[in-house]
Amino acid sequence: MALEKVLTAGIGELNLRDIDVYRSTGGYAQLERAVKEMKPGDVVDATSKSGLRGRGGAGFPTGRKWQFLPNNGRPRYMVCNCDEAEPGTFKDHMLLEETPHQIIEGIVIGSYAIGSNHAFMYIRGEFKRGYEIFMAALEQARAAGYVGKDLFGTGYSLELTVHRGAGAYICGEETALLNSLEGKRGEPRLKPPFPAVKGLYGEPTVVNNVETLAYLPHILRRGAEWFAKVGTERSTGYKIVSISGHVQKPGNYEIPLGMSIRDLIELAGGMRPGRKFMGIQPGGGSSACLFEEHLDVGYDYESLASNGTMLGSGAAVVFDDTTDFVKAAHSLVRFFAHESCGQCTPCREGGSWLEMTLERILHGRGVESDVDMLVSVSHSMTGINLCPLGDSIEPFLASVVNKFPDQFYAYVRKPKTAVAV
Amino acid sequence: MSDGFVGLDAVVEDPADVARFAEVVERLRPRCEALIAQYEESRSAMLPILHVFQEAEGWVSPAAQRACAEILALPLSVVESTASFYTLFFREPVGKYMLQPCRGLACIIGGAEEAMAHFRERLGLGQLQTTDDGLFSYEEVECLAACDRAPCMQVNLEFVYDLTNEKIDAMLAEMRAGTYAVAPAVQTSQPGKTWSVKQDTEKKSAGAQDVSSPNDPGGIGDRTGLEMLRRIESDPFPVEVRPTRERLVVDGAALLSGPIVVSNGEVEH
Repeated sequence: MALEKVLTAGIGELNLRDIDVYRSTGGYAQLERAVKEMKPGDVVDATSKSGLRGRGGAGFPTGRKWQFLPNNGRPRYMVCNCDEAEPGTFKDHMLLEETPHQIIEGIVIGSYAIGSNHAFMYIRGEFKRGYEIFMAALEQARAAGYVGKDLFGTGYSLELTVHRGAGAYICGEETALLNSLEGKRGEPRLKPPFPAVKGLYGEPTVVNNVETLAYLPHILRRGAEWFAKVGTERSTGYKIVSISGHVQKPGNYEIPLGMSIRDLIELAGGMRPGRKFMGIQPGGGSSACLFEEHLDVGYDYESLASNGTMLGSGAAVVFDDTTDFVKAAHSLVRFFAHESCGQCTPCREGGSWLEMTLERILHGRGVESDVDMLVSVSHSMTGINLCPLGDSIEPFLASVVNKFPDQFYAYVRKPKTAVAV
Repeated sequence: MSDGFVGLDAVVEDPADVARFAEVVERLRPRCEALIAQYEESRSAMLPILHVFQEAEGWVSPAAQRACAEILALPLSVVESTASFYTLFFREPVGKYMLQPCRGLACIIGGAEEAMAHFRERLGLGQLQTTDDGLFSYEEVECLAACDRAPCMQVNLEFVYDLTNEKIDAMLAEMRAGTYAVAPAVQTSQPGKTWSVKQDTEKKSAGAQDVSSPNDPGGIGDRTGLEMLRRIESDPFPVEVRPTRERLVVDGAALLSGPIVVSNGEVEH
């Protein structure tokens, strides 16, 4: 399959961390063109027309998100979300370390489009190496006049502040991220008001994912129509999919949206020899598992949603017939229990309750009703929390319990050791 | 220190250490001021400042949190509350090598359990523990975003990919010999055996019961649960369940997993 590389072009071949190499591939030309020749509204229009949707997980149309900003004359903030921690996702990690200038260019173009003079880059605390690489790139960009005061003598200024997180998945949620940027605990805020109205320091704020912003220079260079023509009608353009698990060549693959899951697995080298496909979690830890009957489903926002799951951050974990789905479910449930910020009771209590129940099942101490309880407790946690974290346990857990109940019952039906009463 | 709920203002420190740390604060203050200048509101610099202190001291000591509060003109409780939210801030001294294997989904199905068992066996450590010589601290962490190279880990926040038992043994040997590629962290205080919240290191059991013996199934199957089940089965009073709880109740045994003994239509806890 011949695939066009956009964001991933040159990775592994060129040292794109260096500004001169990045410029030799056409880098920063669109930033200069946008700031010098385009009106902010033109950039917003191009983004809207391209159909670009948020690549962080929610898939919200980027152009529309920008248009929610009120015209109230208040300062506006652009925040780039690089708090990548969704289980199975490793695309932003790669972009941060391999093409930091592409991210900077995207941030500046995005900030110019929304009329922000102060942007923030929120980098996950664990990405220490990525942070250092990004800081070095930012220094180069500043020296070359792509970030800072009065860019190209146009009067447009942009300050870019890099902020390191400190180990909290929940800070990937945009309002928790804003709290963390304000030096607070990373607890999500009640919405509305949405960040577009009341965000950082109470001012209008846009939070965009790294990958979303990195596509902006390419959309400007090649035109909104080029991007809109790729993919499906409502899921346009390219997407980096992080494929991991039981495939022969796990890694990041940039695909046109709408490619079938079968092709996606082929792209990653297919299943290991002699192994059978059992399932795929297509969109990160919060998405429901798909199975053999879904192999021809298209990998795009709508097709996945109509099959009861989601594209999310584009993290595809593939399972073969060696998978213990009880352990897989336990790993994800433990993750969400650990990462719950603790504000909402259902998420805080339900998560650890499920984790303990699964632990008991895995240790051969479960009872049959535990298996039903997994489904009912995870369901009762949904829809009643401030943020989507509490809703994230149910999809995968319920889908694998329903598909492979025997794996769960096998643990609880093992002969029990004697109980001393 | 973190054992229990003693506030930081109650921590008494060695005067020699107080004098030493005062110099550290003065050395780091310009960096902290520069960080504050990057934000519209000074409080935003809290995480960056705590990072600066941890880098210099190996952990965010009570003194460091006090200094952060002083620099930002915030109450100490605000700093303590914020620092305690983030797992990368160590509020206890830790080992020179922080070993953090990933226990995320892709790593678990890619052999992380074997790697983690090997670490635990070789180091004699459990979750959130430190070796007596203060060289290693061990924490199994959530997804590190390197799933294509599973199982992976971080050593002092530097990635190590494609873990095998041989690789782990070689790594530990090099760390002990002082030849490992990743530099050891600064260590200004002797670490204790554990460094973080106690509950994470304890055995868990659904139903919040202690699991005292390996034969004890824990939770609803343990002695308390069985006794309650026996009573409910033998007692004639009708058990009514409120609609909100109905979904949770699968059978009599599961009913006992929650504190819902019902009489007169009221829930008693």
